[in-house]
Amino acid sequence: MKFLAVCGFGVGSSMVLKMTLDKVVAQLGIDATVENTDIATAKATKADAYFTSAELVKDLKQSTDNPVYPIKRYMNKDEVEAAVKKYLATKED
Amino acid sequence: MKGTSLIAKDDIQVVDSVTDWKNAVRLASKPLLKDHTITKEYVDNMIQSVEDNGPYMVIADYFALMHARPGEGVNNLGMSLLTTKRAFDLEGKPVKIVLVLAATDNKSHLASLQKVMSVFMDDAAYQTVLNGSREEIVNLFEGLE
Repeated sequence: MKFLAVCGFGVGSSMVLKMTLDKVVAQLGIDATVENTDIATAKATKADAYFTSAELVKDLKQSTDNPVYPIKRYMNKDEVEAAVKKYLATKED
Repeated sequence: MKGTSLIAKDDIQVVDSVTDWKNAVRLASKPLLKDHTITKEYVDNMIQSVEDNGPYMVIADYFALMHARPGEGVNNLGMSLLTTKRAFDLEGKPVKIVLVLAATDNKSHLASLQKVMSVFMDDAAYQTVLNGSREEIVNLFEGLE
């Protein structure tokens, strides 16, 4: 599966979020690739789940039917892990 | 990239307080303006970005990763750090740490940013950035190339 970390310009915060996502993915042992990009590119990029800030969720949701998870603290592994687990739970149904 | 350190001593400022978030961004950018890493356009773009998109650059408690579109008003890759002992308001979020990131393109800063962020991701180091002296903060980033 593919996770996309998204921020306004795709160079700063999304990079940090990708770092945290990478850690969570490794820790949970999920077979997933993590990429980061800016909001404009994200809208045209298919991913199984999107992770971004609360401010950008609405905009992103208009371009995809796949889940978009707001993350408040990009460096907080627990919060990111909770969002990833939420997504994994949707796959079990 | 100037010098040998990613965030050199001259790029780090510790102050008691700032009047508002725009002045915090301007102050934090000063070392990069001074050595022509960035131009005033980049500072204006960072402020505009917050006004357009909200405070999404606040990516942890008290931590703002300030940046704008790469290459526009950026001559070289650079980073600078400002910490304020008293929190200021960034459009609804309290901030004490401003890390300015100036990137020339989408890729060339990634390794540098990862190294710097790994310092911030260490809890003890993060507390030092929040509460430590300038000297202690300078030491955290010393040797990061």
